Amino acid sequence: MSAMDPTEVFRQEASELFEVLEGALLDLGQRPDDRELVDSAFRALHTIKGSGAMFGFDKVASFTHEFETAFDRVRKGEIKPTQELISVALAAKDYIRALIEDPQSTDDIIGEAILDDLRRFVSADQPAAPVAAIAEAPPLSPAESKQAGWHLYLEFESHILRNGSNPLDLLEDLCKLGPCFVVPITDGIPFLDEMEPEDCYLKWDVKLHAACDKDAIDDVFMFVQDEMKLTLSPLEQVEAPAPAPLFQLLDEEPVAAVEMAAPAIEAVAAPAAEQPAAKAEPKPEARPEPRAEAKREERGIATVRVQAERLDELMDRVGELVIAQARLTQLAASGSDLSIKMIAEEIERLASSLRDTTMGARMVPIGSLFGRFRRLVHDLSRDLSKPVEFVTSGEDTELDKTMIECLADPLVHLIRNAIDHGIEDTATRAANGKTEQGRIELAAVHSGAQVLVTVKDNGGGLNTARIRAKAEEQGLIAPGAVLSDHEIHQFLFHPGFSTAQTISALSGRGVGMDVVKRTIENMRGSIDLSTRSGQGTTVTLRLPLTLAIIEGLLIRVGEGRYIIPLSAVEECVELTAEDERSRGRNFLNVRGNLVPFLRLRELMAASGVPDRHQKTIIISTGETRVGLVADQIIGNHQTVIKSLSKLHSDVTIFSGATILGDGTAALILDVAQLVSLAQSKVEKQHINEAA
Amino acid sequence: MNQDLAGEHRSGAMQVVMIGLGEEKFALDAGLVREIIDPVPVTKVAGARAFVPSVINVRGNVIPLADLRIRFGMPQLDNSADTRIVVIELELDGEPVLVGVTADKVYEVTEISQTDVQQTPRVGMHWKPEFIRFIAKWREEFVIVPNMERILN
Repeated sequence: MSAMDPTEVFRQEASELFEVLEGALLDLGQRPDDRELVDSAFRALHTIKGSGAMFGFDKVASFTHEFETAFDRVRKGEIKPTQELISVALAAKDYIRALIEDPQSTDDIIGEAILDDLRRFVSADQPAAPVAAIAEAPPLSPAESKQAGWHLYLEFESHILRNGSNPLDLLEDLCKLGPCFVVPITDGIPFLDEMEPEDCYLKWDVKLHAACDKDAIDDVFMFVQDEMKLTLSPLEQVEAPAPAPLFQLLDEEPVAAVEMAAPAIEAVAAPAAEQPAAKAEPKPEARPEPRAEAKREERGIATVRVQAERLDELMDRVGELVIAQARLTQLAASGSDLSIKMIAEEIERLASSLRDTTMGARMVPIGSLFGRFRRLVHDLSRDLSKPVEFVTSGEDTELDKTMIECLADPLVHLIRNAIDHGIEDTATRAANGKTEQGRIELAAVHSGAQVLVTVKDNGGGLNTARIRAKAEEQGLIAPGAVLSDHEIHQFLFHPGFSTAQTISALSGRGVGMDVVKRTIENMRGSIDLSTRSGQGTTVTLRLPLTLAIIEGLLIRVGEGRYIIPLSAVEECVELTAEDERSRGRNFLNVRGNLVPFLRLRELMAASGVPDRHQKTIIISTGETRVGLVADQIIGNHQTVIKSLSKLHSDVTIFSGATILGDGTAALILDVAQLVSLAQSKVEKQHINEAA
Repeated sequence: MNQDLAGEHRSGAMQVVMIGLGEEKFALDAGLVREIIDPVPVTKVAGARAFVPSVINVRGNVIPLADLRIRFGMPQLDNSADTRIVVIELELDGEPVLVGVTADKVYEVTEISQTDVQQTPRVGMHWKPEFIRFIAKWREEFVIVPNMERILN
């Protein structure tokens, strides 16, 4: 990590900030009165500007500065953020992003145009807008003339130290411009019992004897500009050559102030008094510095950037450890040495908590992904002129990092589809008695060891008849074949299948849904469509929590051993003689409920004599329950998932493989596939019975 | 095909691992071979294609075990003291894939020089010609250099 290019760090940081900025701007479109949002947008802008300048992205810094200035009136609440203004602000954001990521592709003219737009909006009701920016700091003299120096008055916001800025550093920087006389103004220091040790109470009065530009001074305070009051005025006369009276003038007053504050401080215990006393010290090397330093360190520790590959590597190692541990446990169980058994147990416990921690480190809240789609919805709804309300929920739901990345593209497809095909145009909606504004809900929720991500629109719903007609036209089904609606909808996932009557720029070319399905299935997830005509469509993605290690139930079928993900297991029951006999029915009576079951011996083509007491493992996905009949239930097993190679990609009933304690490979059953297999069997049976 | 043959001609000799399957000898491009291991317990994969009937654990990786004898219509022999698994790495659809190949016997690593290379006869063979890259001569015997990518696809 130390080898990381600092510019790269900035890019990463900036891209996170862009997300914040974009999110805030979009929210602002909906809640124009929310001060918090304006502030958070501003903070993001500000940090981009600051670090941009630090890393030499001067264009970024100057453009962002202009952006900030223009947007300032929104912050002051003088103008409302309208939709148009938000759009321009978003364009400005994109431009900054381009400046950082691909400076070659940008053009100053575009930037200027965006800024012009911005300025026009913010000054719409007040032609003198540019003045407003200056008005913030009235004494900023426009005079750039050479004079003997500057008189500065510095007042920082009290929380400045908490943000890691150190006023003393700034003063030191200021001193580099020329000889300075720095005098702290201590009248802001409260009594000790009211004092917040982390607040900054000091103000400074500085006389800078250097004929430098105002810009040079501004540069010093660039990062803290918004958190301070800076008053600049040119020094009247050449005072430098005659420092004596000045010293007197400056010295006397503050000392008095210190004295005034001092009694109160001394009245309290001495150690406690040390802090404020130190603060009052005007020297740049004063004590508040380590404090700010410590603060900075603390922030550094709170989160650590780790390269993704390292986490992957760690996960691999943990996987190997878990396998080795399984072997140890097996060995210990077969022996009689009690102390080895104890160690094996201890290691099992450690390995399992290490696994959990490692997996936890890879978990990322899905909200980071959701944020990206708000822009998509915003732009699409504008381009298609379909007003759409975008609602997200469950942003805190955590998913494995790799899965979040894999999810981005499928969700883009689904959301595009929902807006383009799902939501009707305004006229149709009105005609159907719906609100003019469509609604798209993106939600994530935990469901057992799965995460369900749903994209729900309140549009027209799928047109089953049209899908059917299209499928017949493409020769996918024979005309007149008996198919359930559910089966017909599955054609949407067929490569090259599109029912859109017109091909738009966005969708309708028939690429997409099959890719979505494949991506989701590659993640061992499944995709489900449900629709109600005239009321909308819901697409549900079911995803496993992690791709790496799961708790499994180890079972034996004939000679082979298999793993069922424990999260899917509801209960294990013995197959009664009565159930055993009912060959034709394949239904199990579980406390009055009929549950279809599959005989794994048949499915796995197991040889040998079945065990006398067959066990049934009841598994479920969502609402459906299915029984799996096995010869033996061996026990639970920490399952490190190894994917099956391409050569076995045609085998659907297994989702992967793992390595058992004795070093042999065991296959992991794909619960979703088995459930749908059982269901289709049941359906066929129904059809046969009906016929 | 012909072009890539010509390439090999120019580069001269080709390193191969000579294996025996039934009565025949096959030469696997040594560049593909990762390791040769003793037989390990196999795990059958129900529903898989016949020539990749099972998976094995090789150093913590679960890899498919292919049976070329099935692809070439040869009888399957029981494992003997000579049976080995040759682990090869192939590029399938642009992704590297490790595959184990059962060999009734592994002879040696050797070189086939360009003069030994024979064009695949179109007739007189009971094997699908697309499974064969070319036929070479080695110690007065004809050996088959199989096209592993095609065999496994």
